[in-house]
Amino acid sequence: MKRRDFLKNTTTLFGATLFSGAAPMIASAQTTPVTGGTLIWGHSETTQNLDMHQTGTASTGRVLQNVHNSIVTVDKDLNVIPMLAESFAQSEDGLVYTFNLRPGVMFHNGAEMTSADVKYSFERCANPDTGAVNFEVFNAVESIETPDPLTVIVTLNTVNAPFLSRLAENGAGVVMPEGSGDTQGEMPIGAGPFKFVRREFGNEVELERFDDYWDGPAYLDKVIAREIPEPTVRLTGLRTGELHMINDIPADRMAEIESAGELQVVKWFPLNWDFVNLNHTFEPFQDARVRRAFDMIIDKEVLLEGALWGQGAVTASPSYPTSASYNSDLTQRSQDIAGARALLDEAGYPEGSLDIVFKATTNYPYHIESAQILVEWFRMAGVNLTIEQLTWADWLSQCWVDKDYQMTMMNFFTLWEPDFLYYSLFNSTGAFNYRGINDPEIDALTEQARITVDPVARADIYKAVQQRVFDEAHDIILWFRNGTIGAQPDVGGLDTIVHPNGSNLNFHKVWLNA
Amino acid sequence: MRRFLSGKGLVGAAIVLIMLLIALLAPLFIPDTFATQMDMRARLSGPTLNHIFGTDQLGRDLFYRVVLGAQTSVMIAGAAVLMSIVIGLPLGIISGYFGGVIDNVLMRLVDTLLSFPALLLALTISAVLGPNLTNTIIAIGIAFTPFLARIIRGEALRVAQMPYVEAARAAGTTDLQMIIRHILPNIMPAIIVQGTISLAFAILAEAGLSFLGLGTQPPDASWGLMIQASRDYLDIAPWTALVPGAAVAITVLGLNMFGDVLRDVLDPRTDP
Amino acid sequence: MAYLLNRLLSVLLTLFLISVITFAVTNILPGDVAMMIMGTQSNPEALAGLRESLGLNDPLIVQYGRWIGGLLTGDWGRSLVFKEAIGPLIAQKAVASGVIVVMSMAIALACAIPLGVWAAINRDRWQDSTASTSALIGVSLPDFFWGIMLILLFARYLGWFPSSGFVHPADDFLGAIRHAFLPSLALGLGLMAHLTRMTRSTMIGILGQEFIRVARAKGLAEREVVWSYGLRNAIGPVITVAGLQVGYLFGSIIVVESLFNYTGMGWLTYQALLNRDIPLIQSTVFVIAAVVMLTNLFVDLLYMLIDPRIRMA
Repeated sequence: MKRRDFLKNTTTLFGATLFSGAAPMIASAQTTPVTGGTLIWGHSETTQNLDMHQTGTASTGRVLQNVHNSIVTVDKDLNVIPMLAESFAQSEDGLVYTFNLRPGVMFHNGAEMTSADVKYSFERCANPDTGAVNFEVFNAVESIETPDPLTVIVTLNTVNAPFLSRLAENGAGVVMPEGSGDTQGEMPIGAGPFKFVRREFGNEVELERFDDYWDGPAYLDKVIAREIPEPTVRLTGLRTGELHMINDIPADRMAEIESAGELQVVKWFPLNWDFVNLNHTFEPFQDARVRRAFDMIIDKEVLLEGALWGQGAVTASPSYPTSASYNSDLTQRSQDIAGARALLDEAGYPEGSLDIVFKATTNYPYHIESAQILVEWFRMAGVNLTIEQLTWADWLSQCWVDKDYQMTMMNFFTLWEPDFLYYSLFNSTGAFNYRGINDPEIDALTEQARITVDPVARADIYKAVQQRVFDEAHDIILWFRNGTIGAQPDVGGLDTIVHPNGSNLNFHKVWLNA
Repeated sequence: MRRFLSGKGLVGAAIVLIMLLIALLAPLFIPDTFATQMDMRARLSGPTLNHIFGTDQLGRDLFYRVVLGAQTSVMIAGAAVLMSIVIGLPLGIISGYFGGVIDNVLMRLVDTLLSFPALLLALTISAVLGPNLTNTIIAIGIAFTPFLARIIRGEALRVAQMPYVEAARAAGTTDLQMIIRHILPNIMPAIIVQGTISLAFAILAEAGLSFLGLGTQPPDASWGLMIQASRDYLDIAPWTALVPGAAVAITVLGLNMFGDVLRDVLDPRTDP
Repeated sequence: MAYLLNRLLSVLLTLFLISVITFAVTNILPGDVAMMIMGTQSNPEALAGLRESLGLNDPLIVQYGRWIGGLLTGDWGRSLVFKEAIGPLIAQKAVASGVIVVMSMAIALACAIPLGVWAAINRDRWQDSTASTSALIGVSLPDFFWGIMLILLFARYLGWFPSSGFVHPADDFLGAIRHAFLPSLALGLGLMAHLTRMTRSTMIGILGQEFIRVARAKGLAEREVVWSYGLRNAIGPVITVAGLQVGYLFGSIIVVESLFNYTGMGWLTYQALLNRDIPLIQSTVFVIAAVVMLTNLFVDLLYMLIDPRIRMA
C-alpha cells in the first residue's frame, strides 16, 4: 500500500487552552446548583484494586478521587496548594517539611483526622509489605513526627526535590484513618466528598454523599459509576437516557455529537499518552539501530488519525505539555521505510528475517486498531508482525509482571510530576520499567534530578532524559490523547469535574437539575 | 414433496458449493493483502463503485475482506469438524462395536463432556491455549467431539446388531475387517449428515469466539471478527455488520438446507 | 425403582466426573491464583510465600480434595476479583440468568408452536416452506448478531427497551422484564428454529395417526382436531426438546449477557475467564455443567412419566 494513500489531516492541539471547558451551547449549565439526585455515570474502564496505595490503574484512581483527599494537591497550573494540610513549610536546607493540618476534617467512619492518621498513611505507603505503587516517594524519609494532633513534621536524610509535589496525588499523599489499611482494598475509607458504598466488580461502583465533608457537602446524593468498556454501548446508554454522563466519547463520533448539540460535551487535553514498547531483553531490540528503525516505520500522525480519528496530538516527549520540563526541541522521526530497511540490514536483520509478536490489549480498543495499521507498515519494511489480543488481566500478567512480550503498546495517565514519570518508567530500577530499559546515563540523570532543588536546572536534567530516550529510541512515544465527557443537558457543574491531572474526575461540585 | 425437496436441496448444495469455491479459489486470485489494505480517505464508506460492499473503520474493502474471510471461516470450521470426526470416529466405533465396559466408560465420559455447553468448552480451551488460528480450530474441534462420538457410537451399535454382521462374525471375520468392511461404510451417511450440520454450528462457533476476542486475531479477516469490529460503527455504518452477517447467514442456511436434504436421502431414519 | 436408583448413581458419577474435568482444565490455565491476587505488585518472593500459604504447592489431588470438600460443605471460597464469597455470588447471578432462560424459552415456544403447527397442517405448501425457512434463518445467524440488531432497533431508534443492565425482579418486576426482554429475544430467535422444526415433524407424525382419523371421522371440526387432539399429544416431545436446548442456551448466554451487560451467570463466567479468577471459573463452570446435566435428567424423567414405554429402553 502506498503511504500517500493515508490522509494526513491531524489537528494539532498543542498550545490550545488546557481545558476548553463545558460546551457553551447548553443554557442549563449556567443554572444554580441544586442538591439531590443520583448521577449515573458510564465509566469507560473497569476499576481494579480499590486500595489507594496499591492501585496503579487510572480507572480506579478516577473513581477514588471522590473518596479520598490527599495532604496537598495541585491547582490547574500544577502548583502545589493546601488540601488536608491548610499550610505547609519547607526548611532552608530542604530536608524538613512541616504540615499544619486543617482542623475538623472528618473521615467517613466518623473519626476526626489527626496527625497520627497522616503518620500512619505515610508509613503504610513507605512499608514495602504494603506493595504501594508510590513507595519510593518516602525512600529518603528519616522520621515522621507528630508533636501535636494538627502538626506533622517529615524529615528527610537527603534532598528529594520532587517530594512535595508527589504528595499531591492520592497514590502517595492520601490520608486514610489510622488502622484502616487492611480493609481499604474492599471498603475504601477516606476524607473525600463521597463515601464508598459498594462495588460489583466489572459492573458498578456506588458512592454516597458524605455530609461532613470539610469543604462542604457535595450536591449529588449518589454517584453510580457503571463500568461499560464498550464505546458504543456507553454512547447508546447516554443517548437513550439510561446514563447521565459518560467519559471517553468514541473518537469517531465526536464531530457528530458536537454538531448535534443535544448533549453537553467537555473536551480537554491531555487525558493520557500512548507509546509503543520494545522489550529491551528481546535480542533484536538490544540494538538501538533496530529500535530506531522501528520508530521510523511508524507514521505517528497517520496512526493517530487512523486509531483515534485525530482526537489528540503527536508528541516526542511524554512530559506534561505545559510543564517546564517538556523538551520542545524534540520532533518525532518521520516515516522513512527505506531508511528503516537500511538500518535493519545494517543491524543484521535482512528483509523477512524478523518475526515479531505484537501483544495488544482489548482493554483499549484503539490499541487493536493501531496494531492493525502497524502490521501494514511493518510488512512494507519487510518485518512480519503478528497481533495477539490480550485481555487486560492477561496483559498485566504477561507484559507488566512477567515481561513476556516482544512488542506491545500502552498508555499512561499524564504523570505531570517528572520524577514520577522518568524515574518510574525509565530508571533501570523504576517501578514501571516493564521494558527492561537499562541505560546508565538515564539512571544517573534521574538520580541527579532528585537532589537538584533549582527548578530550572532540574527541568534541564529532565530535558536531557527526554533527549536520551529519543536518541536511543528506548520507547516509541506517540501522542497525547484528548479527554472527553458527554452529558445530558441536566447535568450541571461540569466545568469543575476534571482534575488537573487530566485523568481523575471530581464530582464534588457537580449537580443534577431536576 | 420430491420437487420441493430437490429444489431446497439444489439451493443448499449450490450455496455450499459456491461458498466452498470462494473459500478455495479466492485466495488464488486475490492477493491476501487486499483484505488488510487501508484507505484512510474512505473510512466507513458506503457501497460505491470503488468499494462495492463499502469499507470498514480502517478503510478496508469489505468485499475483499468478506471474500477472503470465507477462507478463514470455512477453513476453521472445516478443520474443526474434521478434527472432531477424526477423534470421535474411533471412540464412537470402539464404544458401539465392542460395547461392554469400554462402552460404559467412554460414554460416561462423553455424557459428562456433553454437560458442558460447547461454547463454554471452546472458550475455556481457547483461554488455556491462547488465542490464534490453530488454537481456535482445536478449541472448536474438541468442543464438538463428544457430540459426534455419541452419534457415531449409536450408528456403530445399530450396524453391529444387524443380522448380516452377526453372520459375518460367526463366519470368523476379524474385528478390524468387520469395522472396515461393514461398520464404516454403513455409518458413513450418518457421519456426512452430522458433519454437514456441524459445519454450520462450527461457523457460528468461530464467529462467537472471535466476537469475544478469543478466536481469529486481527488483521486477518474472518466473518466473526468482522461482525465484532462492526459493533462500534453499527448505527453510522450498518453495512459493516450486514455484509459479514449476510455471509454467515447464507452459508449456514445453505449448509442447513443441504444437511436436511442429505438426511432425507442418506439417512431417513433420524429425526429432523 | 431399580431404574431410578441406577439413574441416581449415574448422576452422582457424572457430577463427580464434571468436577474432575473442571478442576483439571482450570489448573492448566495460564497464570495462577497467587499472581492474580498480587497483580502489578507481584515479586518472586512474595509470590512464593503466597503460593505456599494458599496451598498451591500441595499435590493436585490434595487441592482437588480441598475444593470438592468446600463445594460439599457450602464453602465455595472467595472470588479474587469480586472479593465476595462465591456461593452467594452465584446464587444472585443465577436469578438473573433464570429470568432470561425462562423468558427466552417462553418466547421461543410461543412462536415455535403455532409456526410448527401451521407448517404441519399445510405440509409441503408455501406455508410450510415459509415457516421452515424463517426458522432456518433464525438459527443461521449468531445470537450476538441478533442482539446487536435488537439493540439498534429497539433501544437506539425506538427507545422501547433499555440496551443494557439487569434489574432484580424483587426490586422492580416490570423493570426486570424490560431489561431482560432484548437479551431473551436474541436467545429466543435461535431456539425458536429448533423448536419449530420439532413441532412440525411431531405434528406431522401425530396427524397421520389412527386416532386423529377417528376424530375426523366423528365429524369434529378440523380446528379442534388439530389444536386439542393433535397438539396435546405433540406438546410432550416438544417440551422435551426444549429442555434439551438448555445446554445450548447456557453456552449462548455467555455471549449474549456480555453484549447486553446483563449481569447473570454467563456474564459472571466471562468475567471470571477474562480475569483468570480461577476459583470463580471452577465454580461457575461446574454449576453450569451440573445445571445442564440435571435439566437433561429432569427432562428424561418427565418424558418417562409421559411415555412409560421408555423404561424398556
